[in-house]
Amino acid sequence: MAKESTTIDIGEPSTVTKSTSHAVVDEKKKSFVTAAAGGGYKRGLTIFDFLLRLAAIGITIGASSVMFTAEETLPFFTQFLQFQAGYDDFPTFQFFVIAIAIVASYLVLSLPFSIVTIVRPLAVAPRLILLISDTVVLTLTTAAAAAAASIVYLAHNGNANTNWLPICQQFGDFCQTASTAVVAASISVVFFILLIVISAISLKRH
Amino acid sequence: MKNESTVIDVPAESSSAMKGSAPLIGVARDHTTSDSGGYKRGLSIFDFLLRLAAIIAASVAAGTMFTSDETLPFFTQFLQFEAGYDDLPTFQFFVIAMSMISGYLLLSLPFSVVTIVRPLATAPRLLLLVLDTAAMAFNMAAASSAAAIGYLAHNGNQNTNWLPICQQFGDFCQKTSGAVVSSFVSVVFFIMLVVLSGVALKRH
Repeated sequence: MAKESTTIDIGEPSTVTKSTSHAVVDEKKKSFVTAAAGGGYKRGLTIFDFLLRLAAIGITIGASSVMFTAEETLPFFTQFLQFQAGYDDFPTFQFFVIAIAIVASYLVLSLPFSIVTIVRPLAVAPRLILLISDTVVLTLTTAAAAAAASIVYLAHNGNANTNWLPICQQFGDFCQTASTAVVAASISVVFFILLIVISAISLKRH
Repeated sequence: MKNESTVIDVPAESSSAMKGSAPLIGVARDHTTSDSGGYKRGLSIFDFLLRLAAIIAASVAAGTMFTSDETLPFFTQFLQFEAGYDDLPTFQFFVIAMSMISGYLLLSLPFSVVTIVRPLATAPRLLLLVLDTAAMAFNMAAASSAAAIGYLAHNGNQNTNWLPICQQFGDFCQKTSGAVVSSFVSVVFFIMLVVLSGVALKRH
């Protein structure tokens, strides 16, 4: 660098270079800052997403196991009617147990994708994969929860028109346990809706 | 401004620095805005068509269930020989839910048109995605609870002594099963709508 002249010249071009380099550095800083700020609130959203997934794992495993162990045997018996009730007496409850177990294992398998979105908050592909598969699994969970809910409603109230008797009047414990499992599955449906909304908000551009 | 000395050293560095940095910013800006509008508009048009199809599926489901009455030609004093959707609360819920879904889809058509006209706006798409997810869950709940009751009507349950009523009410069962199938079709349309909105929202 041959700066041999008066100090004025050195001062003047160096301010020119300083302003241009500041402009370049400021541009870089601005884009970096927006990236970091966008990354910041998205990172918060993905951490919330991860925690929601953990909560949903707990609830779905709880729902499936509660329904699985919902048995009751009445202390008396006759020759005519069965006096045991279990989840395998109802095909809908069998579907419920299997479907909610599948949902729980999907959630466990989706945890690595969620961690990837925490580590790289601006990556689009993991979030899109999570959104699509969460939508499909939401459908399965809602199907299982709603079908089991309609059978539980029928067991509580019966139907006079079709002569279907409400069995809850004999099998009180079984009905309570099954209802608890259905409520837990419905809560997991709400969690799934939240997860989908979080993925959508994280996907959108600014 | 006092330019009195040699020109070679300082301006050479600064001008090369300026030349090096500016075009990068310019190219980056040009690239993003022009490409994505076209294909997002295509996605929005597909979204609009899917909504129309889902309206048809949902209203067919509601209408079929609503008109699924059957009266058997004989009668006794003991059992009822009429069957209609209002004999089963789950089917009542089904009719009401599918009507609400059809109404929601009709009201969401303007938002879909907005996303066609302005393909890069994210607010309408995000709103549609959130509402579509909730509507899909509601639709699926109605469809699967009606399916469970329909299964019970077809097969009965020996353990609880619930008799399969379809053996007497064949037409009623057929119509209700058709309505349930139609509402499952509308759920599939909803899934496609949600995924479409998600893909259209993403950045490049």
